[in-house]
Amino acid sequence: MALWKLARAAEIPPGQTRFVWAGEAAVLLVNYRGAIYALSGICPHRNNPLEGAVLWGHLVDCPYHHFQYDVRTGENHFPKNVYPEDMPQLEQQVRPLRSYRVEVREGDVWVDLG
Amino acid sequence: MAKVARQVVEQAGIDVNVLLDKLLRAAGAEFTTFYYYTILRVNSIGFDGEGLKEIIEDARIEDRNHFEALTPRIYELGGALPRDIRQFADIAGCPDAYLPADPRNMSAMLAVLVEAERCAVRTYTDICNMTFGKDHRTYDLALAILHEEIEHEAWFSEYLSEGPSGHFRRGSPGTSPYVRRFMSAEIG
Repeated sequence: MALWKLARAAEIPPGQTRFVWAGEAAVLLVNYRGAIYALSGICPHRNNPLEGAVLWGHLVDCPYHHFQYDVRTGENHFPKNVYPEDMPQLEQQVRPLRSYRVEVREGDVWVDLG
Repeated sequence: MAKVARQVVEQAGIDVNVLLDKLLRAAGAEFTTFYYYTILRVNSIGFDGEGLKEIIEDARIEDRNHFEALTPRIYELGGALPRDIRQFADIAGCPDAYLPADPRNMSAMLAVLVEAERCAVRTYTDICNMTFGKDHRTYDLALAILHEEIEHEAWFSEYLSEGPSGHFRRGSPGTSPYVRRFMSAEIG
Protein backbone atom coordinates (compact mmCIF):
# COMPACT_ATOMS: atom_id res chain seq x y z
CA MET A 1 0.00 0.00 0.00
CA ALA A 2 1.33 3.43 -0.93
CA LEU A 3 -0.81 6.28 0.29
CA TRP A 4 -0.23 9.65 -1.32
CA LYS A 5 -1.73 12.92 -0.13
CA LEU A 6 -2.73 14.47 -3.45
CA ALA A 7 -5.03 17.39 -2.69
CA ARG A 8 -7.29 19.10 -0.23
CA ALA A 9 -10.87 17.92 -0.69
CA ALA A 10 -12.01 21.55 -0.80
CA GLU A 11 -9.92 22.04 -3.94
CA ILE A 12 -12.22 19.69 -5.87
CA PRO A 13 -15.81 20.99 -5.73
CA PRO A 14 -18.68 18.66 -6.72
CA GLY A 15 -18.77 18.08 -10.48
CA GLN A 16 -15.11 19.03 -10.93
CA THR A 17 -11.94 17.11 -11.75
CA ARG A 18 -8.33 17.75 -10.81
CA PHE A 19 -5.32 16.30 -12.59
CA VAL A 20 -2.26 15.65 -10.39
CA TRP A 21 1.03 13.82 -10.50
CA ALA A 22 2.08 11.40 -7.76
CA GLY A 23 5.70 10.77 -8.61
CA GLU A 24 5.51 9.35 -12.11
CA ALA A 25 1.84 8.38 -11.84
CA ALA A 26 -0.77 10.67 -13.34
CA VAL A 27 -3.97 10.67 -11.29
CA LEU A 28 -7.36 12.20 -11.97
CA LEU A 29 -9.30 13.17 -8.87
CA VAL A 30 -13.04 13.57 -9.35
CA ASN A 31 -15.77 14.85 -7.08
CA TYR A 32 -18.98 13.09 -8.04
CA ARG A 33 -21.93 14.01 -5.84
CA GLY A 34 -19.67 14.90 -2.94
CA ALA A 35 -17.56 11.73 -3.04
CA ILE A 36 -13.95 11.86 -4.21
CA TYR A 37 -12.81 9.23 -6.71
CA ALA A 38 -9.30 8.62 -8.05
CA LEU A 39 -8.58 7.20 -11.48
CA SER A 40 -5.53 6.79 -13.65
CA GLY A 41 -4.86 10.15 -15.29
CA ILE A 42 -3.89 8.74 -18.68
CA CYS A 43 -6.59 7.85 -21.21
CA PRO A 44 -5.76 4.33 -22.46
CA HIS A 45 -7.10 5.14 -25.92
CA ARG A 46 -4.08 7.15 -27.08
CA ASN A 47 -2.23 7.70 -23.77
CA ASN A 48 -3.24 11.34 -23.55
CA PRO A 49 -3.36 13.00 -20.11
CA LEU A 50 -6.82 13.58 -18.70
CA GLU A 51 -5.94 17.11 -17.62
CA GLY A 52 -9.01 19.26 -18.15
CA ALA A 53 -11.35 16.26 -18.29
CA VAL A 54 -14.99 17.26 -17.82
CA LEU A 55 -17.50 15.37 -15.72
CA TRP A 56 -20.90 14.73 -17.35
CA GLY A 57 -23.09 13.05 -14.77
CA HIS A 58 -21.09 10.01 -13.64
CA LEU A 59 -18.93 10.00 -16.78
CA VAL A 60 -15.47 11.51 -17.13
CA ASP A 61 -14.91 12.86 -20.64
CA CYS A 62 -11.40 12.79 -22.14
CA PRO A 63 -10.67 16.22 -23.65
CA TYR A 64 -8.84 14.75 -26.66
CA HIS A 65 -11.26 12.27 -28.27
CA HIS A 66 -14.21 12.41 -25.86
CA PHE A 67 -13.86 8.84 -24.68
CA GLN A 68 -15.99 8.52 -21.54
CA TYR A 69 -15.36 6.55 -18.35
CA ASP A 70 -17.57 5.70 -15.40
CA VAL A 71 -16.05 7.58 -12.51
CA ARG A 72 -17.16 4.89 -10.03
CA THR A 73 -15.49 1.95 -11.78
CA GLY A 74 -13.13 3.33 -14.42
CA GLU A 75 -14.95 1.30 -17.09
CA ASN A 76 -15.21 2.80 -20.57
CA HIS A 77 -18.77 3.82 -21.38
CA PHE A 78 -18.37 5.50 -24.76
CA PRO A 79 -17.50 4.38 -27.39
CA LYS A 80 -17.51 0.85 -25.91
CA ASN A 81 -21.32 0.99 -25.91
CA VAL A 82 -21.41 1.39 -29.69
CA TYR A 83 -18.23 -0.29 -30.92
CA PRO A 84 -19.20 -3.32 -33.02
CA GLU A 85 -18.49 -6.73 -31.50
CA ASP A 86 -17.18 -8.05 -34.81
CA MET A 87 -14.19 -5.66 -34.64
CA PRO A 88 -12.24 -7.10 -31.67
CA GLN A 89 -9.19 -5.03 -32.54
CA LEU A 90 -11.06 -2.03 -31.08
CA GLU A 91 -11.12 -3.57 -27.60
CA GLN A 92 -7.62 -2.26 -27.04
CA GLN A 93 -8.99 1.30 -27.31
CA VAL A 94 -11.67 0.89 -24.66
CA ARG A 95 -9.69 -0.55 -21.77
CA PRO A 96 -10.78 0.77 -18.35
CA LEU A 97 -9.05 3.46 -16.37
CA ARG A 98 -7.38 2.06 -13.28
CA SER A 99 -9.37 2.98 -10.18
CA TYR A 100 -7.65 3.77 -6.86
CA ARG A 101 -8.92 3.63 -3.28
CA VAL A 102 -9.44 7.07 -1.72
CA GLU A 103 -9.49 8.18 1.91
CA VAL A 104 -10.39 11.70 2.98
CA ARG A 105 -8.81 12.50 6.35
CA GLU A 106 -9.22 15.89 7.97
CA GLY A 107 -9.89 17.44 4.60
CA ASP A 108 -6.91 15.84 2.85
CA VAL A 109 -7.37 13.46 -0.08
CA TRP A 110 -5.21 10.33 0.29
CA VAL A 111 -4.97 7.92 -2.61
CA ASP A 112 -3.70 4.34 -2.41
CA LEU A 113 -1.60 3.88 -5.52
CA GLY A 114 -0.73 0.30 -4.60
CA MET B 1 -3.17 33.89 -41.49
CA ALA B 2 -5.18 36.93 -40.46
CA LYS B 3 -2.60 38.60 -38.22
CA VAL B 4 -4.81 41.01 -36.32
CA ALA B 5 -7.63 38.47 -36.15
CA ARG B 6 -5.30 36.15 -34.24
CA GLN B 7 -3.85 38.96 -32.15
CA VAL B 8 -7.23 40.11 -30.86
CA VAL B 9 -8.04 36.56 -29.77
CA GLU B 10 -4.70 36.24 -27.99
CA GLN B 11 -5.15 39.59 -26.29
CA ALA B 12 -8.58 38.51 -25.08
CA GLY B 13 -6.78 35.85 -23.07
CA ILE B 14 -7.26 32.76 -25.23
CA ASP B 15 -4.38 30.37 -25.85
CA VAL B 16 -4.78 30.25 -29.62
CA ASN B 17 -2.76 27.06 -29.97
CA VAL B 18 -5.14 25.28 -27.59
CA LEU B 19 -8.11 26.68 -29.49
CA LEU B 20 -6.61 25.58 -32.80
CA ASP B 21 -6.13 22.08 -31.42
CA LYS B 22 -9.81 21.97 -30.50
CA LEU B 23 -10.88 23.32 -33.90
CA LEU B 24 -8.70 20.81 -35.74
CA ARG B 25 -10.06 17.93 -33.69
CA ALA B 26 -13.59 19.16 -34.33
CA ALA B 27 -12.93 19.45 -38.08
CA GLY B 28 -11.40 15.97 -38.08
CA ALA B 29 -14.46 14.57 -36.33
CA GLU B 30 -16.76 16.19 -38.90
CA PHE B 31 -14.72 14.80 -41.77
CA THR B 32 -14.57 11.24 -40.40
CA THR B 33 -18.22 11.35 -39.40
CA PHE B 34 -19.16 12.37 -42.94
CA TYR B 35 -17.34 9.23 -44.11
CA TYR B 36 -18.91 6.90 -41.54
CA TYR B 37 -22.39 8.36 -41.99
CA THR B 38 -22.08 7.59 -45.69
CA ILE B 39 -21.70 3.91 -44.75
CA LEU B 40 -24.53 4.09 -42.21
CA ARG B 41 -26.82 5.79 -44.71
CA VAL B 42 -26.33 3.26 -47.49
CA ASN B 43 -27.04 0.47 -45.01
CA SER B 44 -30.19 2.00 -43.54
CA ILE B 45 -32.35 0.30 -46.14
CA GLY B 46 -36.05 0.34 -45.38
CA PHE B 47 -35.75 1.53 -41.79
CA ASP B 48 -39.04 3.32 -41.15
CA GLY B 49 -39.68 3.29 -44.86
CA GLU B 50 -36.76 5.40 -46.00
CA GLY B 51 -37.30 7.93 -43.22
CA LEU B 52 -34.17 7.20 -41.24
CA LYS B 53 -32.06 7.25 -44.38
CA GLU B 54 -33.24 10.77 -45.15
CA ILE B 55 -32.37 12.02 -41.69
CA ILE B 56 -28.92 10.40 -41.76
CA GLU B 57 -28.43 12.15 -45.08
CA ASP B 58 -29.30 15.53 -43.54
CA ALA B 59 -26.84 14.97 -40.71
CA ARG B 60 -24.19 13.60 -43.08
CA ILE B 61 -24.29 16.60 -45.43
CA GLU B 62 -24.44 19.08 -42.56
CA ASP B 63 -21.40 17.47 -40.93
CA ARG B 64 -19.54 17.99 -44.19
CA ASN B 65 -20.74 21.59 -44.14
CA HIS B 66 -19.35 21.97 -40.63
CA PHE B 67 -15.96 20.81 -41.86
CA GLU B 68 -16.15 23.32 -44.70
CA ALA B 69 -17.11 26.13 -42.35
CA LEU B 70 -14.43 25.33 -39.75
CA THR B 71 -11.53 25.15 -42.17
CA PRO B 72 -11.25 28.88 -43.04
CA ARG B 73 -11.29 29.78 -39.34
CA ILE B 74 -8.42 27.38 -38.67
CA TYR B 75 -6.29 29.08 -41.32
CA GLU B 76 -7.30 32.60 -40.23
CA LEU B 77 -5.95 31.84 -36.77
CA GLY B 78 -2.66 30.57 -38.18
CA GLY B 79 -3.43 26.86 -38.11
CA ALA B 80 -3.46 24.32 -40.91
CA LEU B 81 -4.99 20.98 -41.74
CA PRO B 82 -2.48 18.12 -41.41
CA ARG B 83 -0.77 17.28 -44.70
CA ASP B 84 -1.49 13.60 -44.12
CA ILE B 85 -5.17 12.65 -43.98
CA ARG B 86 -4.31 9.67 -41.76
CA GLN B 87 -3.01 12.06 -39.13
CA PHE B 88 -6.19 14.10 -39.52
CA ALA B 89 -8.31 11.02 -38.86
CA ASP B 90 -6.18 10.13 -35.84
CA ILE B 91 -6.72 13.49 -34.15
CA ALA B 92 -10.47 13.53 -34.82
CA GLY B 93 -12.15 14.63 -31.61
CA CYS B 94 -14.83 11.94 -31.55
CA PRO B 95 -14.65 8.15 -31.90
CA ASP B 96 -15.34 6.55 -35.25
CA ALA B 97 -19.02 5.86 -35.92
CA TYR B 98 -18.69 2.27 -37.10
CA LEU B 99 -21.42 0.34 -38.83
CA PRO B 100 -22.88 -2.10 -36.26
CA ALA B 101 -22.04 -5.79 -36.53
CA ASP B 102 -25.63 -6.40 -37.59
CA PRO B 103 -26.46 -3.64 -40.06
CA ARG B 104 -30.12 -4.70 -40.01
CA ASN B 105 -30.40 -3.78 -36.33
CA MET B 106 -31.99 -0.33 -36.43
CA SER B 107 -31.61 0.26 -32.69
CA ALA B 108 -27.89 -0.47 -32.86
CA MET B 109 -27.53 1.89 -35.80
CA LEU B 110 -29.46 4.62 -33.98
CA ALA B 111 -27.27 4.17 -30.90
CA VAL B 112 -24.17 4.84 -33.03
CA LEU B 113 -25.80 7.91 -34.55
CA VAL B 114 -27.09 9.45 -31.35
CA GLU B 115 -23.80 8.90 -29.50
CA ALA B 116 -21.88 10.52 -32.35
CA GLU B 117 -24.13 13.56 -32.16
CA ARG B 118 -23.79 13.74 -28.39
CA CYS B 119 -20.04 13.77 -28.76
CA ALA B 120 -20.39 16.65 -31.22
CA VAL B 121 -22.65 18.56 -28.83
CA ARG B 122 -20.02 18.24 -26.08
CA THR B 123 -17.29 19.30 -28.52
CA TYR B 124 -18.97 22.55 -29.57
CA THR B 125 -20.20 23.34 -26.09
CA ASP B 126 -16.55 23.21 -25.00
CA ILE B 127 -15.48 25.54 -27.83
CA CYS B 128 -18.34 27.95 -27.10
CA ASN B 129 -17.41 28.01 -23.41
CA MET B 130 -13.79 28.74 -24.30
CA THR B 131 -14.53 31.54 -26.78
CA PHE B 132 -17.62 33.22 -25.31
CA GLY B 133 -17.05 36.95 -24.91
CA LYS B 134 -13.47 36.64 -26.20
CA ASP B 135 -13.31 35.30 -29.75
CA HIS B 136 -16.55 36.49 -31.31
CA ARG B 137 -16.04 34.95 -34.73
CA THR B 138 -15.14 31.45 -33.53
CA TYR B 139 -17.92 31.60 -30.95
CA ASP B 140 -20.47 32.58 -33.58
CA LEU B 141 -19.38 29.71 -35.83
CA ALA B 142 -19.22 27.13 -33.03
CA LEU B 143 -22.65 28.19 -31.80
CA ALA B 144 -24.13 27.81 -35.29
CA ILE B 145 -22.69 24.30 -35.54
CA LEU B 146 -23.90 23.50 -32.03
CA HIS B 147 -27.45 24.42 -33.04
CA GLU B 148 -27.34 21.88 -35.86
CA GLU B 149 -25.67 19.13 -33.80
CA ILE B 150 -28.34 19.49 -31.12
CA GLU B 151 -31.03 19.11 -33.76
CA HIS B 152 -29.31 16.00 -35.12
CA GLU B 153 -29.16 14.51 -31.64
CA ALA B 154 -32.84 15.28 -31.11
CA TRP B 155 -33.83 13.61 -34.39
CA PHE B 156 -32.02 10.36 -33.60
CA SER B 157 -33.12 10.47 -29.97
CA GLU B 158 -36.71 10.74 -31.18
CA TYR B 159 -36.23 7.62 -33.31
CA LEU B 160 -35.01 5.82 -30.19
CA SER B 161 -38.35 6.72 -28.56
CA GLU B 162 -36.63 8.98 -26.03
CA GLY B 163 -39.20 11.73 -26.70
CA PRO B 164 -40.17 14.19 -29.42
CA SER B 165 -37.45 16.22 -31.08
CA GLY B 166 -39.62 19.31 -31.33
CA HIS B 167 -38.78 19.82 -34.99
CA PHE B 168 -38.84 18.16 -38.38
CA ARG B 169 -36.19 17.19 -40.88
CA ARG B 170 -34.86 19.67 -43.41
CA GLY B 171 -36.89 20.69 -46.45
CA SER B 172 -34.08 19.45 -48.69
CA PRO B 173 -31.02 17.41 -47.68
CA GLY B 174 -28.46 19.10 -45.44
CA THR B 175 -29.48 22.73 -45.84
CA SER B 176 -27.63 23.80 -42.67
CA PRO B 177 -30.01 26.57 -41.57
CA TYR B 178 -27.53 27.90 -39.01
CA VAL B 179 -24.16 27.25 -40.66
CA ARG B 180 -24.96 28.15 -44.27
CA ARG B 181 -24.03 31.81 -43.76
CA PHE B 182 -20.46 30.68 -43.06
CA MET B 183 -20.28 28.65 -46.26
CA SER B 184 -18.61 29.92 -49.41
CA ALA B 185 -20.16 27.23 -51.62
CA GLU B 186 -23.82 27.15 -52.59
CA ILE B 187 -25.71 24.53 -50.56
CA GLY B 188 -29.21 23.20 -50.23
